[in-house]
Amino acid sequence: MLPLSIKDDEYKPAKFNLVVKLSGWFRSILADKTSRNLFFFLCLNLSFAFVELSYGIWSNSLGLISDSFHMFFDCTALLAGLAASVISRWRSNDSFSYGYVRAEVLAGFVNGLFLIFTAFFIFSEGVERALEPPDVHHDRLLPVSIAGLLVNLVGIFVFQHGGHGHSHDGEGHGHSHSLFNGNVGHGHSHGEHGHSHESKQGHDHGHSHGGHGHSHDDPHCHDDPSHTPGKGASKQILQGVFLHIVADTLGSVGVIISAILMQKYDLMIADPICSMLIALLIGVSVVPLLRESIGILMQRTPPSLDHALPECYQRVQQLQGVYNLQEPHFWTLCTDVYIGTLKLLVAPDADSRWLLSQTHNIFTQVGVRQLYVQIEVAAM
Amino acid sequence: MACAPNRLRLLCMLLLTFGFFIVEVVVSRITSSLAMLSDSFHMLSDVIALVVALVAVRFAEQTQSTNKNTFGWIRAEVMGALVNAVFLTALCFTIILEAIERFTEPHEIDRPDVVIGVGAAGLLVNLLGLCLFHGHAGGGGHGHSHGGHGHSHGGHKKHKNGKVRRCETLEDSRSTGEETNNLVGNHNNSPNGVNPERRMAGKYEMCHSDNVDLQINGSAPYEELENGHDSASQLNMRGVFLHVLGDALGSVIVVINAIIFIFVWTPCKEGTVCENPCVGHYCADHLRNISSAGTNETVFNAGPCWVLYLDPTLCIIMVCILLYTTYPLLKESALILLQTVPKQIDMHQLNSRLRDLDGVLAVHELHIWQLAGSRIIATAHIKCQDPTSYMDVAKRIKDFFHNEGIHATTIQPEFVTMNSESRASLCELSCRTQCAPKLCCGAIDPAKPPDGALEPKKLCESKTPTIPSASATSLEIISESVEDTSGAESVVIITREVESSL
Repeated sequence: MLPLSIKDDEYKPAKFNLVVKLSGWFRSILADKTSRNLFFFLCLNLSFAFVELSYGIWSNSLGLISDSFHMFFDCTALLAGLAASVISRWRSNDSFSYGYVRAEVLAGFVNGLFLIFTAFFIFSEGVERALEPPDVHHDRLLPVSIAGLLVNLVGIFVFQHGGHGHSHDGEGHGHSHSLFNGNVGHGHSHGEHGHSHESKQGHDHGHSHGGHGHSHDDPHCHDDPSHTPGKGASKQILQGVFLHIVADTLGSVGVIISAILMQKYDLMIADPICSMLIALLIGVSVVPLLRESIGILMQRTPPSLDHALPECYQRVQQLQGVYNLQEPHFWTLCTDVYIGTLKLLVAPDADSRWLLSQTHNIFTQVGVRQLYVQIEVAAM
Repeated sequence: MACAPNRLRLLCMLLLTFGFFIVEVVVSRITSSLAMLSDSFHMLSDVIALVVALVAVRFAEQTQSTNKNTFGWIRAEVMGALVNAVFLTALCFTIILEAIERFTEPHEIDRPDVVIGVGAAGLLVNLLGLCLFHGHAGGGGHGHSHGGHGHSHGGHKKHKNGKVRRCETLEDSRSTGEETNNLVGNHNNSPNGVNPERRMAGKYEMCHSDNVDLQINGSAPYEELENGHDSASQLNMRGVFLHVLGDALGSVIVVINAIIFIFVWTPCKEGTVCENPCVGHYCADHLRNISSAGTNETVFNAGPCWVLYLDPTLCIIMVCILLYTTYPLLKESALILLQTVPKQIDMHQLNSRLRDLDGVLAVHELHIWQLAGSRIIATAHIKCQDPTSYMDVAKRIKDFFHNEGIHATTIQPEFVTMNSESRASLCELSCRTQCAPKLCCGAIDPAKPPDGALEPKKLCESKTPTIPSASATSLEIISESVEDTSGAESVVIITREVESSL
């Protein structure tokens, strides 16, 4: 039979279809609770920023325009968090043997850096305004900043209640608490952000650091099916995003307070002082997130294992046949996933398999599931 | 302190920039120019970038491993580069925002002569910085020794390969544990709490055969070290260089803008009725139109409006240039921090070549990542036949990795178990309680099984009920030799264990 048509599209290789790719990304975003929340909040923030921008242009108010730019800046932080939460779920391949799970740590770190930069910027603007007070139109700024405050409160609510209903393991909390116990007092009234937990059991559910809101269906940090998924796998991302939202809320609160002060008491100096105070608060609140991310990125020994590891070393050295334990290196891949390598100097007649399995057992009990033990037989 | 050239340069530039920042702030207060003040804050961000780079360099010098940071602080330089790149990107965003603001509301320059003066001085400072960092961003800083790698190896690009070979074999027997120690410095709990330098001396003793070898061996590690340190600090210096470049471009734009402004713009003079059509004030314009229509005076117009839009346009061009040059740095440092396999290593090929090695049955969980610069770390599980052959295999694997340029490896041996898919020889355990089922394989070969139909291997692995009958006889042979002559029950139990494990 002769061909009825000359369409040979099906024989051509599939073209790069942007729509297909985008829809694939959408599905991936909507699949996970964290990224879903991030995406919706990003849309909300973006639309509000556009509304503010258009209102500012229409009413020719420079203050509103610059405030809308500040919101756009925040949207980039949300975008980074969203991108990281999608990327960290990709499978490992030839170039990324551990997968992309470190992306969330990196996103948290970059968010922290952006926050510090924002604080620095606000501080400099505050100084500029203190030296040369511009003409601020309060009547237009007040309702818009109240609306912005409402949007941010929605965000805080969403990201605080993101993660209830999953079992808290003492181990995971030990990880987060040990860093924050020595923390500088924040001085801000939020309390959600308050790492004020004296008890190391971590049974208070109100300690939301932005929630561990992600589904446990797919193991986050490792493809190994035997590995129970890290409950705080998106912890870094959410913490960064949460801090950003808090910073924005503080900004709105500061603007409202200074507007009220200026209207009632005609204190022109209130605006710059509020800005500087807010900048300081933001800077201080970012420090824990930065310290944690820097620790992870610098391949530091996991803080939660600081006390457990020497015990483990002792136990391993007491195993029969082990002369010595050398060069232990333990580091965090992402939240709650620890990787370790060490070398054992053993006697020539030692049972290597037994030693290996015992060592693995010892370290699995403290939570290190990926361990590489190199056995070196001492020459007699 | 070693590594002084980099630190010295950074310190120099830091002092210069900070001094200039102070000058700009003072001048801006004197001339009450807001633009100067904002430019001075850009200078301040430059100072911060330099401080970050300095801190990173200072930290990265401590390559000794500590209790908390077992790899030392080498990664600090990559982090410094990332921080600088992110700061630059954020700065670019703010500049874009300011430029857009200027587009909607153009400003005149207040005192263009002062601006030119300060801008030119800033340009000088930045050009000096560029010269300082440009030549050395590409390497040349001398790494300091932390004991060195200990040996160069065949396949490495140094020319002294052939001569060093002889020393290698002597060193290799000790070298397995040593490279990583040398790499990351002494670990505090290490029993070989020997000073790295002393260990080097130990190697010299071993290599007493050839004096030339000694010298070559002594110098080679230093060169390797320089390379390693260089490519890590390269990243950091690149970040600083890009920051200074951005600032230089900013100064160039300021100067160009001020010059054009002076020559082209005709400002509104005092005392004359003058309109500024570029800066739009709707109400004021309307009033002025009404009033001027009434008075019939000549109204001067302030100079060509496009001059006011030159500043934001140039700023946007500068931002594009900056982003284009910062992106590779950002990508590179981010990839290192994401634990990527370094780009010069092909995992697939490495994997297959590793599998081709003699004695290696399987490779899994192979992970290769870059600590910083040229320090690459690899970990893997290698499946091999038995512990006795393992030491040879381990040496060969280490050599293989050294040839690839990976000096810090941790290989976990996995021994073939009874239930493995490969049907190679399964007898690897030392003879303890599980001796009997294992010997069933090994004892078959010398001793003919009564049931000659079954193959020796099949006896051990098949799950058919013929096992008890066949192995019972072989086990009878065994039970004479085995010390614990338990009854037939325990023998049967053992065989059942074997079955289930199969």
